Parts: sequence; C-alpha cells; structure tokens
Amino acid sequence: MTGQTDFTQPWMEAWAANMQPFMKTMFPAMPDALHAADAKSQAEEQFAALNATWKESIEKWAALAKEGARPDAFTPEALRELFTPAKWSGPGIDPFDAGLREVLEGPKYATLWNTDREMLQLQQRAAERDKQAMAYQAIVQKAWNTAFERFSKSFASNKGEAPATWRGLTDRWLAVANEVLIEAHRSDEFVEAQSRMLRAASDYRLQERKMAEAWCAASHIPTRTEMDEMQRVVTELRRELRLLRRQAASPTEPTAASRIAKQGTVRSPAPKPRAVAKKTRRATQA
Amino acid sequence: MTTLKKSPAAAALAEFNDFNLKMARGQRLLGSIKDEHVQIATADKEVVFREDKTTLYRYKSTAKHTLGVPVLVAYGQIGRYTMTDLQEDRSMLRNLLSLGVDVYAVDWGSPTRSDRWLTFEDYVDVYLNDCIEFICRAHEIPAVNLLGICEGGIFSLCYAALYPDRVKNLLLTITPIDFHQDQAEGRLNHGLLNLWTRGMSEEDIDLLIEANGNLPGELMSYVFAQMTPGATLSKYNVGLLDAFDDEKKLLNFLRMEKWLADRPHHPGEAAKQLLVNLYKNNELIRGEFELGGRKVDLANIRIPVLNVFAKDDHIIPPKTTQALRGAVGSKDYSEIGLDGGHIGVFVSGKSQGVLSKGIFDWLKKRDAR
Repeated sequence: MTGQTDFTQPWMEAWAANMQPFMKTMFPAMPDALHAADAKSQAEEQFAALNATWKESIEKWAALAKEGARPDAFTPEALRELFTPAKWSGPGIDPFDAGLREVLEGPKYATLWNTDREMLQLQQRAAERDKQAMAYQAIVQKAWNTAFERFSKSFASNKGEAPATWRGLTDRWLAVANEVLIEAHRSDEFVEAQSRMLRAASDYRLQERKMAEAWCAASHIPTRTEMDEMQRVVTELRRELRLLRRQAASPTEPTAASRIAKQGTVRSPAPKPRAVAKKTRRATQA
Repeated sequence: MTTLKKSPAAAALAEFNDFNLKMARGQRLLGSIKDEHVQIATADKEVVFREDKTTLYRYKSTAKHTLGVPVLVAYGQIGRYTMTDLQEDRSMLRNLLSLGVDVYAVDWGSPTRSDRWLTFEDYVDVYLNDCIEFICRAHEIPAVNLLGICEGGIFSLCYAALYPDRVKNLLLTITPIDFHQDQAEGRLNHGLLNLWTRGMSEEDIDLLIEANGNLPGELMSYVFAQMTPGATLSKYNVGLLDAFDDEKKLLNFLRMEKWLADRPHHPGEAAKQLLVNLYKNNELIRGEFELGGRKVDLANIRIPVLNVFAKDDHIIPPKTTQALRGAVGSKDYSEIGLDGGHIGVFVSGKSQGVLSKGIFDWLKKRDAR
C-alpha cells in the first residue's frame, strides 16, 4: 500500500493545484473598493469553506480509489504493459476483454442500459473473433517458418543438387511449403484453432444480428429471424401443397413427393431431430 | 554449330530475359481476352422441366442413340454441374453424347438464404424424384440410368435405396460412402475435409449455419484452397505463368477459374445433414442415415452398380468410396479407378474419353437386360 500512497499523493496535490485557477475563475474575489470590509471578509470565508470542502472531497475520492485499486493497478510496469503495441493484438487483447467482461457481468437492471450492454457484447465478440483469428494465424505462421527452415536445410543436405534455375528453385520451395503446410493442417493444434475461429466468427455474426434486429424492430422493419421463420413456413407449406396435389392427382398411390411432404408436416426441419449419434473421437476414426 | 555451355550468370540472365518476354506476351494476350471468350457448359441443351430452383436439361444428341435408356446426371451442391461440360474438348457430357447416349442433367440452381430449410429429403424425394418421373413419363420407361457425382452420388445412392424400381443402373463417380476411411491409405494430403469436419462440434456447425443461413460457398472455396496449399500458392504465379503465352492453355485455366468461382451456397439444413450425419457420424455406411423417417439401407440396392473413383482424390479418398462394394446388395458391382484427382478425372486432357468410354461400355452391356 506504501507504493500506492507514494504514487497517488503527488497526483492528488497536482490535481488540487491545478484546480486553483479554475476555482478562482469561478469564484473571483470582489475587488471593488465600494464593498465594505465585512463583505470582503465574508467572501474570503466562503471561498475558504468551499476550498476546504473541495479538498475533503478529493481526499475521500482518493481513499476510495486506494480501496478499490488492485495492488499493481498504477505501477509503471502495468502502464507500460498496457501501452505495448504487442498487447493490443492476439492474446494481448485480454486486458480490454477483461474490462468488457467486468462491465457485462455487473448487475443488470431490467432494461436499463440494455442496448449499451448488447453493444459491449458485440465488442467482446469482435475481440474474441480477432483473438481467435490471430491465434490461427500464429499457427499458420509457425508452419511457414518451419517450411522456410526445411527449405534452407534442403540446400545444406547432400540429397540432390541445388536447383540451377529460378523455376527449379520455386518448384522446390512450393513442394516443401506444401508438405509442411499439410502436416500443419493435420495437427490437433490447427484443427482446434480453426474450429475456435469459425465459432468465434459465428458468435460475432449472431450478436451483430441481434443488434441489427433491435434496430429493425424499432424501425418497423422485418428482422432476419422473422424472415427465416417465414421462409421455413413457406418451405413446409410447399411440401404440404405437393402432398395435396399428388393426392388429388392419384388418390390411392402414395408418391415420393407425398412421402416427404407428409414427413415435412410432421417432422420439423429444426436442427434437433437429426444427428442422433454421439460425436466420435478423432483418434478412433482414422 | 556447337552450343557453348553458358556460365551461371549468363544462364540466369537468359532465364530472366525469357521470363520477361513471357510476361509481356502473356499480358498482351490476357488483355485481349474478354469474359465472353471464357464460356463454360456450352453443349447444346434445352430446359425440359423446372421445379422451384431445380432445372432439368436434356442435351441435344450429336450421334444416333445407342442405348435404350437415357442417363440422368446429378451433381451435388458443393460446386455446379457445369464441371461436366467445362469446354468442348474437356466434357464428359459431350463425350457421352458422341457415343450415342441420351443425356439429361439436373441443375439445382443457386440457393439463397430462402433455401436454408431445404433438406436431403427435398433433394432426393422431391427434386431428383420429380426429374426421374418426368424422364420416365417422357420415354415411357419404368426406370432411368442414374449417374451421381460427388454429393450428387449420395443423393443418387439414397434414391436408389429408397426407390429401387426407378433406377435401372446406378453409376457413381467420386462419391463418399464411408466418411471415416479418409486415412485408410495413410496419405497425409487425403481427407482433410473429413478431419476438419470431425474437429467441429455439432453445436459449432449449428451456429455456423444459423449465422449464415446456408453453408457459404466462399467458405467451401477457402476450405478447398487450404487442402492443397502448394497448388493454391502457385496458382496465380507459376500456374498462370505456365499458361501465359499459350492462348489455349490460358483459356483452359480461366474456364476452370470460372467454374471454381461459381460455387453455390449449400442449403443450411441439408448442409447439417451432410456435415453432421454423414461426415461426423458416418451414418450412411452404418445404415443409420434416415430420410423422412426411413432408413437408407444400401443393401436394398440390388441393381447393377458402377463406382468410378480417382486414385489421387484428396477430397474423396479412394477407400471412402470403395467401401460401397461391401455395403450394396447388388451382385453386379464394378469399379473403375482412374488416374488423377477429384476434378481432374472429369476435366484433364488425359482422362477425356477414358471416363466416358468406361461408363458407356459398362452401360452398353446392361442396356438390353
């Protein structure tokens, strides 16, 4: 805590000093000689009281800041880390993301600030999407580095001669890069990163849609969800219509279309009724 | 006249000079090519049936019919059927036509967000079924020859298992059956799509579809590019340079690019079935895949089956499709393994004729039965 005191004390003093011109501007002393000494004295007293109240207020806020601050919140190291460009991308987005999370996970007051909250969630999804894209790129970049290393080593080895032409050199580079990238694309690390990136992109798109739909609803415009739902009804009605037409054309003979149309009215094409088997493990599938 | 061996510096200078000349010629050539010069799927055809976004084409005959039963070609949703007729001299469809085959092809169209609720059931039980019923009515025949490609092969398999009376002969090309056999041959570049899909949770896939409505075509293009990093890296430099001063090669390159760029979105619910039920849970080979409450029982397929695969197919590794042999109930099961990759068997110069001839010969033997 000593460190915090050391850090905040000069800051408080500097702030109070900076406030003096402002206070004087707002509450200038009355220079007019026509005013009596009592009046001057009263003005000075008022200014002194106001100044004391202000100082007291600053001290209370400073105390509150000390109570709430993390031990390392204002250290030069923390500030340096916050402003390091490397921390603004990839995993370095964490401080920003953590800040958003703190805001999002705070108490929720019915509809108060709901739009702001949704917007913050959109920012969080965007941050997550960018983070996963960077993580994916990092894996791909690692593969490129490996490819270059392997390509360089291929000259040092005694296997075959070094290509004598630009084209020969290019062909060798492409062959090495192809081999290394395919190896990388098969790795668990890559497969997981790719899945996470796609998922983050989907999450972002869906949150974006939520925001757009709020605006659409407020502007009396049909939303994406409503259009999807309407199209689903149209698809199901088409199936039923086919069934009825075919039944009318051939009442006794069920046709292929009638079967699907009939199914369509019973079986919802929603995601859940399909895919019943559990996810199988990759290791056992290859 | 003797040729002096150049010093390394002179050789490098000569190579640099050749490179610059090639670039200059290529740029001049590229500048003269307009979009209308890069046409694909130009074989003469007519629309004979439409349903929602699905279109059924019948191709104009170029030779006297030699088979009694027409062939319906069904591609999948990951890419478009236009690959089967990329250009005049690289066209499975034209080759079949020249052998006297009556060819139909189904085009599923370009799905949008409004198609997100379409399922495998819609494609198999409705669109494919209605195309087949149309052909049967038009030719007064009970069944067609059904040729499925990639995911279209899965649609065709499901259809043949559920409606065996409507298919005379089943032909599959580059079609996955056992989605977990991707590393059966231990080739590192094979089956990355299988591996990556298994790496995603069901919830991840649901979220992806919910967020985008469909499985975006752009995402699939990115995934395919990742699967062949060397080719992706070299495509627009070395690859383009190789074709740069040869108009025919350059146009071939651009036609392929046009097809690749025309990758449709995959309807969302059907994509979930493909990724979760098939790629992750491998339900087709296990006999657990259900369409509209009915199990797709491959043992129910007792008609003749021809399974064509590419020996170097990194997307559908050979073992994932060869698993069909033990799964179908047919006693007349044949395979043709062709040199080349997933798309190469259809569009490479070497495979032209081989694929169509193999299909035609196989069909011819079974046409009169």
